[in-house]
Amino acid sequence: MDKPLLDRKLLSIEESAVTFNNWSKNVRSPSTEVEVVEIIRSAYEKGQHVSLVSGGTKLGYGGVKSEYDLTLSLKDLKGIVEHTVGDMTVTVKPGTTMKELQDYLQNHNQMVALDPSWPEQATIGGIVASNDSGPKRLKYGSARDHVIGMRVVYPDGKVIRTGGKVVKNVAGYDMNKLLVGSMGTLGIITEITLKLRPVPKSENLIRLSVREEALDELKGYTKQIQDSMLEPVSLELVTPSLSQRLFHDEGYSLLIAFEDVEKSVDFQTNWVEQHKPAGVNYTTISNVKEFWNAFSEIHPNSLTDSKATQALLKVGTKNLDVFSILSECARIHHEGKVTIEAHGGAGHGLSTVFLEGDDAAIVNTINHLQHYAHTLKGYGVVKHLPFSLRQSVNVWGDEPSYFKIFEGIKHKHDPKNTLNEKRYIGGI
Amino acid sequence: MLFKKKKKDIEDEHLKNLAKIVGQKSILHHKEDLLSYDCDGFTIHKSLPKAVIFPKNTEEVVAAVTYCSTHNIPFLARGAGTGLSGGAIPLHEEVVISLVKMKNLLSVDYENRQAVVQPGYVNLKLTNSISAKGYYYAPDPSSQYVCTIGGNVAENAGGAHCLKYGVTTNHILGLELVLPNGEIVEISENGVPDMPGYDLLGILTGSEGTLGIVTKITVRILKNPEGKKTVLAYFDRVEDGSHAVSDIISAGIVPAALEMMDHTAIEGVEAGAFPVGHPKGIEALLLIEVDGIIEGIDEQIDQILSVCRNHNVRDVKVARDEEERGRWWANRKTGFGAMGAISPDYLVQDGVIPRSTLPKVLNNIKEISNEYNLRIANIFHAGDGNLHPLILFDSRIEGETEKALKAGTACLKACADVGGSITGEHGVGIEKKEEMRFIFTDDELEAQIAIREVFNPNDLLNKGKLFPTPSRCMDIKKVIKETAAAQ
Ligand SMILES: Cc1cc2nc3c(=O)[nH]c(=O)nc-3n(C[C@H](O)[C@H](O)[C@H](O)COP(=O)(O)OP(=O)(O)OC[C@H]3O[C@@H](n4cnc5c(N)ncnc54)[C@H](O)[C@@H]3O)c2cc1C
Repeated sequence: MDKPLLDRKLLSIEESAVTFNNWSKNVRSPSTEVEVVEIIRSAYEKGQHVSLVSGGTKLGYGGVKSEYDLTLSLKDLKGIVEHTVGDMTVTVKPGTTMKELQDYLQNHNQMVALDPSWPEQATIGGIVASNDSGPKRLKYGSARDHVIGMRVVYPDGKVIRTGGKVVKNVAGYDMNKLLVGSMGTLGIITEITLKLRPVPKSENLIRLSVREEALDELKGYTKQIQDSMLEPVSLELVTPSLSQRLFHDEGYSLLIAFEDVEKSVDFQTNWVEQHKPAGVNYTTISNVKEFWNAFSEIHPNSLTDSKATQALLKVGTKNLDVFSILSECARIHHEGKVTIEAHGGAGHGLSTVFLEGDDAAIVNTINHLQHYAHTLKGYGVVKHLPFSLRQSVNVWGDEPSYFKIFEGIKHKHDPKNTLNEKRYIGGI
Repeated sequence: MLFKKKKKDIEDEHLKNLAKIVGQKSILHHKEDLLSYDCDGFTIHKSLPKAVIFPKNTEEVVAAVTYCSTHNIPFLARGAGTGLSGGAIPLHEEVVISLVKMKNLLSVDYENRQAVVQPGYVNLKLTNSISAKGYYYAPDPSSQYVCTIGGNVAENAGGAHCLKYGVTTNHILGLELVLPNGEIVEISENGVPDMPGYDLLGILTGSEGTLGIVTKITVRILKNPEGKKTVLAYFDRVEDGSHAVSDIISAGIVPAALEMMDHTAIEGVEAGAFPVGHPKGIEALLLIEVDGIIEGIDEQIDQILSVCRNHNVRDVKVARDEEERGRWWANRKTGFGAMGAISPDYLVQDGVIPRSTLPKVLNNIKEISNEYNLRIANIFHAGDGNLHPLILFDSRIEGETEKALKAGTACLKACADVGGSITGEHGVGIEKKEEMRFIFTDDELEAQIAIREVFNPNDLLNKGKLFPTPSRCMDIKKVIKETAAAQ
């Protein structure tokens, strides 16, 4: 990939908040859990509404409330609390960025097996609270599979530990799972304990590509790979528009990554080359780490600057329906009303769709894609959109029939809607 | 003269109505029939249910649950009854809803790697049904030839190969659940990941049958690894075995399984149904498996062999073929039951510790064994620090059952004291309710009970499980509140 994809000049959170909101002018940035407790308890007692922020990359992710009384920033609550190398677990404070955490662990040949977007800006707290994941989820799973314990401050100031520091644990309800992906609506995460993995000894990345009309051939080969003994770390399909930007290539691409001991990686790489159908092109990507780093920044976040309106949609479907989602994206792109670049994991069923265009076209396209995903029994969630437009779309899609369980869970944790009110599904 | 005593007809009005829902043949209500349901794999506590019913489909579960909840009759779900913490034991004369007749494999979607099963479907049957195509279901509790996937979801069951592949919760893609009020909840019926909203799959898995009755499960299936190799290593000192475990992990190897047995456990399995001829006088053995792409396995096995040699291994060998590998695993997987060959009774415990504290905790367990004068065998998942102290005792000796229970509690305390947990896969049930206090504060317990109240507000479903009862702090607070309100 030779050119950066977005303007890398980043905005300050204050600048970004003008467009994305989820913000109050009254900002507090505690650096200890004790301060967090004091601040939130007092807000709770006064019946105030507080928005939570950390790295500031996700201000465009949900939220239809125009004003909060207070913003609690966790960016200063950061650092490694404990790393037991032999146990392969780490305890970290939420404001630590993903990059800081991975760099530190790298010294010990260990890693958190998560590859979310914007690791330099996004903090582990925000990543866990929004359950962000990347292409390598196919092999390694998502945040819910790595978080083994937390400290959480409830809105009334109680500090609750969930899970523990051991990698296997079924004592009581698995409260970690509720917090992961809860978008700060249940409690303030002040410490996270994660399971680690060894850094793989070797890695490789292959790009298969086909002309746009030949997508079925790529799909057929993807199925063949999935039905073989290969153990890919990612099977990420990329639309022609995004292939164009990344590789100057007008067809679909499939990014196949392997991470294992060298002999295994080599064997699998050769297998893919040898078995590929004639119509499929094969290339290897030379600097794999650099590529993945760049790939993590191909989409906008609330700190990236843009004149045009931009949106990100997370679409969930069955694994292979990623092909349908992406070809629908390509079709809309060709209509020319919005620019769409998308990629999705054919082994895990999540697609990320990047839209740019005028406001009305973006709203229409979001509605359309949500509806389309629905016909495949999937869903679409808007991960990034200016505040003004979030009112015109259904960010989280339709509420499920069991929505009252969500309300019950919210009410038990946060009876006065102190935390991130209206940020989440169904106005929770 | 021999004649068959005609069993009495149902007299209880409620049972008559439940019989109408599931059919006369699908209800047990005579005391002699109920005796098999007075406990599960935790046999120390026994108490009889009011009746046992066997619904054949979700509609019957809904009707039965609705009936019970409308009439304030306590009830609970039961799978194969292999649970080791008493989760399926009726403490309040529950109507036991057995899911064993809902035992079908509903569909398999190889391309999207998922299968849909009914809750009574036996764990191992799933792997057996899909193995011809080269697929399997990863969670492999030792009881997998009998336990149900519904029970696995309730307990978040683990197994030897969960070190690399994760426990049940990492493999559940969707659930159909009947709430205690009879409503059906269908979560991610197509196995789509990250459905918007709180992660209900996550909170339900491992909730020990206290939040709802699972009636359908969508699970992830995996492709068989291309190759597997298994190593058996014998050590003269437990410390050497423990250090070998640490070094294998530090070498950056992710074994599929990493199991350990101590001296007493080896004596048990050798006296059991699947002996493999382990040498005499061994203090610890490790069973280590590496799987994946064949090309990559040998170098990892070589590394493992050299780690073992660096730690004074007496003997170490690689399984020659599938037959030998199978024998080693049968020996390990039937380990609990094998204790029956060397002791009239045994209590299975289930603590978890940070791996690095293994030598210390094993020492503590030895001290506990001495203190209580009971033998304790250790068979465990060393790779993830999940210990299974097996406390050997004789219930015929007055007071020995109580002593065994106390020794078990002491083992869990030892785990909790090094920052561990009181259960890694068997659950809290009734057995470890009080021990929950070793690791959770009153506020933390209350936070969990609050979740139960969302799903199971009247506590009619599987009452009295999981949390210390009465939760002293709560009761006291309630009294304070009530007194305050009265004033
Ligand atoms: C010899 C032996 C070895 C074992 N090895 C392991 C092991 O390696 N790993 C491990 O994790 N466990 C192990 N276990 C424990 C046990 O097998 C597991 O906990 C298993 O998951 C229980 O399944 P079951 O069908 O027997 O459930 P049951 O014992 O019938 O029920 C267990 C709990 O689940 C609830 N339940 C059952 N079905 C449902 C449903 N459909 N909906 C809601 N709740 C339900 C019950 O109310 C109860 O609380 C072992 C047990 C034995 C006897």
